[in-house]
Amino acid sequence: MAPTLRQHLEAMGMGTYAGQVIGIPKRCRRVASRMTVVVMNIWVPVLMLLETLIGIAIFPLLLVVMRVVTRWPLGKIMRYFVRLYGRVWLWIVSPFVRMKVTGGDPQRLARPSIYVVNHLSLFDIFVTSAMPVFDVVICLRSWPFRMVWFRPFMRLAEYMDIERLPWDQIVQQVQQIFDEGRSILLFPQGHRSRDGQLTRFYSGAFRLAIQLDAPIVPMCITGTDRLLPPGRRWMAPADVKLEWLDPIEPTAFQGELGHIKLRKHVKDSMGACLARNQL
Amino acid sequence: MTDSEIIELINRSLINEFELDPGAMAPDAHLVEGLGFDSLDFVDVVVVLQQAFGVTLREEPRVREVRTLGDLHRLVIEKKRELESSKGA
Repeated sequence: MAPTLRQHLEAMGMGTYAGQVIGIPKRCRRVASRMTVVVMNIWVPVLMLLETLIGIAIFPLLLVVMRVVTRWPLGKIMRYFVRLYGRVWLWIVSPFVRMKVTGGDPQRLARPSIYVVNHLSLFDIFVTSAMPVFDVVICLRSWPFRMVWFRPFMRLAEYMDIERLPWDQIVQQVQQIFDEGRSILLFPQGHRSRDGQLTRFYSGAFRLAIQLDAPIVPMCITGTDRLLPPGRRWMAPADVKLEWLDPIEPTAFQGELGHIKLRKHVKDSMGACLARNQL
Repeated sequence: MTDSEIIELINRSLINEFELDPGAMAPDAHLVEGLGFDSLDFVDVVVVLQQAFGVTLREEPRVREVRTLGDLHRLVIEKKRELESSKGA
C-alpha cells in the first residue's frame, strides 16, 4: 500500500502540522511543505538572533528596573528573564509549532519540588518556559555552560553545573534552594534521546528527593524530536506538548535502594504519559 | 554457585537496576566510559551486589581498583569464595 501524505511528511521530518494541508494536489502540498520548512529555517534563527541581541542590549536597564520594582534577588530576576526569553521563543516558533500545555492542578506545584523532564531536543529547555512556575533552578551537565553567549546569564540565574560539583555540595545547595521556596529542574536522561524513547535515567534527582524529602514532578515533552532532533541541522514544523504529572512523594520509597525504586516508578509514569501523548 | 552463575547474576542485577543494554555487558566494558556509570552509581552498585550476594563490599579496598565489568566479576567471585570458605571453616 502506498504511504499516505502524513507518512511522507513524517518520513521527511515534517510532522503532522503540514500534513493538515489538504484538498490540494499532492505535488503542490509537497512543495508547500518544503517552502514552509525553508521559511521556518530562515524565520526562527533570524528572530532568535534578534531576540538574543536585543535582550543583551536592554538587559542592564531591565535588570535595574526589575530590581527597583520587584525587590527580587538577582537570581530570581534572571530566572524570570530566562522564562521571558523562552516565552518569546515560543512566540517566534508559533507559526510553525502548535504548542499544547497541560497537567494536573497547578496548586499542587506550590511546594518546592524536583521537576524531571525527558530530553528530546536542544529546544526542550525553551519549552519548559511554558510550565506554570518560573522560579526554578535548572541543573545541567557541563556542556551548556561552555556556550559563552549563555554562560553569564546561566551563572546569574544560579543554574547548577552538577557534573562538576561534588555530591555533598549539590545536596547542600539544593537544600538551600528549597529553604528559599524555589524548585529545581533536571533532565534525568542526561542526554537527548536519539529515537524519541526514554533512555536510561540517572539516579541523582531521585536520591535528592529522598534525601531532602522533596516531591518529584514528572514533566513530559513530546514533539520536539520532530522539531529539531539531535544530529539534524534544520527545523521542521511540529506539534509540541508539555504535560506535567501530579507530584510523587518520596515517602513511599524507603530503604537503601529507595531512590532506584522511585526512579523506576517515575520513569514508568513518564513512559505511560509519553505513549499517550504520542498517539 | 558457579563462577558463570555469579557472573550471570551480576549482569542481570546491573541490567535491571541501572537500565543497561544487555548487549553492552562485555567483561572488558569500562564501567564509566562504556556503561555510563557515574560516581553515585558506584555506591548503588555496591549496595545492589551486597544485597544479591550477601557479601560486604563497602569496606573493601579492592573496590577502588575496579575499572571494568570483568574486574567487578572477579571481585565479587573472590568475595563470594571468601564468604563460603569462612562459613565452611
